[in-house]
Amino acid sequence: MTAFLLELRTEEIPANALPGARRQLAEGMVRVLAEAGFADAAVRVSSTSRRLVVTIDGLPERQADRTERLTGPPTRIAFAEDGSPTKAADGFAKKAGVTVDRLETETTDKGDYLAATVVHPGRATTEILSETVPAVLTAMRFPKMMRWGLGENYFVRPVHGLMAILDNAVVPMEAFGVASGRETVGHRVHGADVFAVDSVADYAGGLAERGVLIDPEERRGLLDEQAGRLAAEARCRVHPDDALVAEHVELVEYPGLLRGSIDPEYLELPREVVITTLRYHQKCLILENEDGSLAPHFLTVIDRRDDPEGLVRQGNEWVIGARLADARFFFNEDRKGQLGDLAGELDRLEFHRVLGSVAAKAARVGELAVILADRLGLDLDSAVVRRTAHLVKTDLLTNMVVEFPELQGVMGGHYLRLEGADDEVWTAARDHYRPSGFDGEIPESDLGRLLGVADRLDTIAGLFGVGEIPTGSKDPLGLRRAAQAVVKIVSEAGWELDLDDAVQAAVDGLDGVVETPAIEVAAAVRAFMADRVRRYLTEEVGVGADAADAVMAAGWQRLPELVARARALDAVRTSPRMRALGLAFKRVKNITEGAHEPVVNPGLFETDEERELHAASEVFAERLSECVGARRFDDAFAAMGELAEVLDRFFVEVLVMSDDALVRDNRVALLTILRREFLTLADLSRLQVDGGKK
Amino acid sequence: MDLQTLILNLQHFWAEQGCVIQQPLDLEVGAGTMHPETFLRVLGPEPYRVAYVQPSRRPADARYGENPFRLGRHLQLQVILKPSPDDVQDLYLRSLEAIGIDPAVHDIRFEEDNWESPTLGAWGVGWQVLLDGMEVTQFTYFQQAGGIELAPISAELTYGLERIAMFLGRKDSIYDIEWGGGVPYGKIRLSDERESSTYGFEVADVEMLRRHLGDWEVEAQRCLDYDPPLVIPALEATLKTSHLFNLMDARGAVSVTERVGLIGRVRRNAIRAAKAYVAQREEMGYPLGNSLVEVE
Repeated sequence: MTAFLLELRTEEIPANALPGARRQLAEGMVRVLAEAGFADAAVRVSSTSRRLVVTIDGLPERQADRTERLTGPPTRIAFAEDGSPTKAADGFAKKAGVTVDRLETETTDKGDYLAATVVHPGRATTEILSETVPAVLTAMRFPKMMRWGLGENYFVRPVHGLMAILDNAVVPMEAFGVASGRETVGHRVHGADVFAVDSVADYAGGLAERGVLIDPEERRGLLDEQAGRLAAEARCRVHPDDALVAEHVELVEYPGLLRGSIDPEYLELPREVVITTLRYHQKCLILENEDGSLAPHFLTVIDRRDDPEGLVRQGNEWVIGARLADARFFFNEDRKGQLGDLAGELDRLEFHRVLGSVAAKAARVGELAVILADRLGLDLDSAVVRRTAHLVKTDLLTNMVVEFPELQGVMGGHYLRLEGADDEVWTAARDHYRPSGFDGEIPESDLGRLLGVADRLDTIAGLFGVGEIPTGSKDPLGLRRAAQAVVKIVSEAGWELDLDDAVQAAVDGLDGVVETPAIEVAAAVRAFMADRVRRYLTEEVGVGADAADAVMAAGWQRLPELVARARALDAVRTSPRMRALGLAFKRVKNITEGAHEPVVNPGLFETDEERELHAASEVFAERLSECVGARRFDDAFAAMGELAEVLDRFFVEVLVMSDDALVRDNRVALLTILRREFLTLADLSRLQVDGGKK
Repeated sequence: MDLQTLILNLQHFWAEQGCVIQQPLDLEVGAGTMHPETFLRVLGPEPYRVAYVQPSRRPADARYGENPFRLGRHLQLQVILKPSPDDVQDLYLRSLEAIGIDPAVHDIRFEEDNWESPTLGAWGVGWQVLLDGMEVTQFTYFQQAGGIELAPISAELTYGLERIAMFLGRKDSIYDIEWGGGVPYGKIRLSDERESSTYGFEVADVEMLRRHLGDWEVEAQRCLDYDPPLVIPALEATLKTSHLFNLMDARGAVSVTERVGLIGRVRRNAIRAAKAYVAQREEMGYPLGNSLVEVE
């Protein structure tokens, strides 16, 4: 068995491209190894910011030989009378690659035939790797690719080196215009000289001596360990930030971590401002005190083992100080006036080419919010709602949000609070962008919720109206997330808002702005919302997909009611009764398809089963209206379940399609009523017999 | 190291690497990329190396001289290496040594940062170079300019000079950095930052700017329609329209609908000028040589 090592040395690869690069490289290598018959070999891919590394263990030195048995012409035509070989024999021998005297004879039912055993020698592993590895490398794709130099090669960043060795021999190959060898370089600071790697086993250790740790897991471990230690030394704790540490791992060849200090006076800025500066602009880990408040320190990743003259820490502290001073400048500038003073300038800000300025949008959102508040019977002053619709967007014009767009909403909240605005108003500004999709809390106040819902419905309806509709994996404007947020807010607020009706109001508000007929826009948005509601049921409420379909078929527009109904059905959907009822209900639906307004005449019943079902259906109808009114859906489905046996007996004993038209119509009418009753809760025919998958 | 020594050392270093040391474009531009020594030279097959300082005007970034970190006009040192050499990162690191930054005792990282200019129909791939956490240089491999796919590829290095000087001197304000001969930056620049801010935010005559933008746009088109097209005059007229747009924008005079349209108008002429340049250089038989032919 042998081991193979490949190292592709490049300029710094973007951190977010590296996990995908490792995946592609592993998949590509596994595929070509399997094709070569080396399925048992173990492929491991690692990387640093400047190299992609593949190690393969358990490779044979060559492919196994393969023998093949060839059958040739019948012996009777293979040899002349004098026993000399004919053209047929010569031809077969040539094809088999042997001399005639090595041919054998094989006896079959049909007579004797010439035969030969051919041995195909396996190819050397090094030869196979020379061919396949460059193909795997050049087939790799990245979100953003580039050319360099004369423009002949195409990759994520320029390529500088290719090391390929099998045990201790170089595997000759070429990729991206670079020929393979056994040389590489270490870390820029800790070992930049070229060195030769004698064997696969020497590679990782040789690099580690030169300051490069190729294993991302090992770098992660070291970063976590240092973070814990550096935080403890400063008597604070690290604010957990898995995504950031995962990025740090990819940014370096050696995972250094360094603690720096912040002038405590900057901690008087709003917490989010400090965090944005540290976390999003300088990629620093945040340190907290025991009570969760910000500590005057940060941790930053560095691509080296040490800070020999203290310059690295000093530099980072200076940069962070400068950035915080800059943020404080903007904060103080913004605080010179009242946020509301800027509201008049929202017409300078474009929301959308066709849908107009942010001011125009805020006006629509205000109107829509007033309508929705009215439908919901919320006790809110319409003038306050309209004004707040503008106010919550006004922070877009502040210095702080222009500099730190991710702080939209948050800054508006701070400024309004500091100006002494009502709690309802400043929290609405702070909260109205959340949740993002299903992630995050819903806004605290009714006003915040209302504006959050109205803002997003206007966005969705508007963009649908101008044809910017999400397709497949493309949703650049985040409309799915917006719709999911609407669903979550309405549901968790317990709002009895008819979503159909809310969509209609949003579409009506865009009258004269978009050209697509309102009826088309409304229909498309409804279908889009319904799809998000279904996702909410399956992902957030956690009901089975079939149960979600079943309850939505009976009406999905009122979310709190829908969620309660979905939970109740989900609890019993796999019970034998419900499964039986599901099958029976399929029959009910088939039989009653196209049936008209039903009138049941008990005088026409011929069997006890009909009478029994009729009586049971009337009892059920009564219980249904009681339970639905009181939102006791568990009881409603229990009552429904009790019909299972009655319905089964009915189908066993009664032939619905009687020859007597009156009797038949009467039976259909009986089932039609039952269908209508059932469909106030759920379309059970959508339940999967196997219980459905979550 | 004061600002002028910084400039002199970088220019000296890049001259030794075979760069032509050019002078700033004598027009108002937002970035060194707009200088024809970058925007046009990166087009076509001719090899070229150039470095120059470009005062870069961004009226909307001006802060009346009150913000110690922001300027309405700052200095960029721009380097173009075409085709990008294999050792371009090493060359860059050596240029830092030339200004007293020893990579052995600092943390220098190349973090992804791609660049795009809708106005110039240009984009590139690259990094921001972080020195101890401070962004000191924008490093870009140009992929497209003037809407044209590039080959060979140029490497563009843009040093933010005031920031580097501030960082090296650990100054709390741009105005405290030393320009040269013991004279602080503020004594030379502060009053014009104040005046330019007042002009850009309060005084500029929007109607005049709008009129001139239209005039220079037409002038650029006339130069492009001329036979043969007058490339440099066309580009210069286009750069004037770009700056006029920036002034109007800073003044808050560009409405939402107008904005996209104006950028499109600047871009159209920039792209036409680029195409005319490519044709012109081909016609001239590539006076600076052809890097694609030489290798064959």
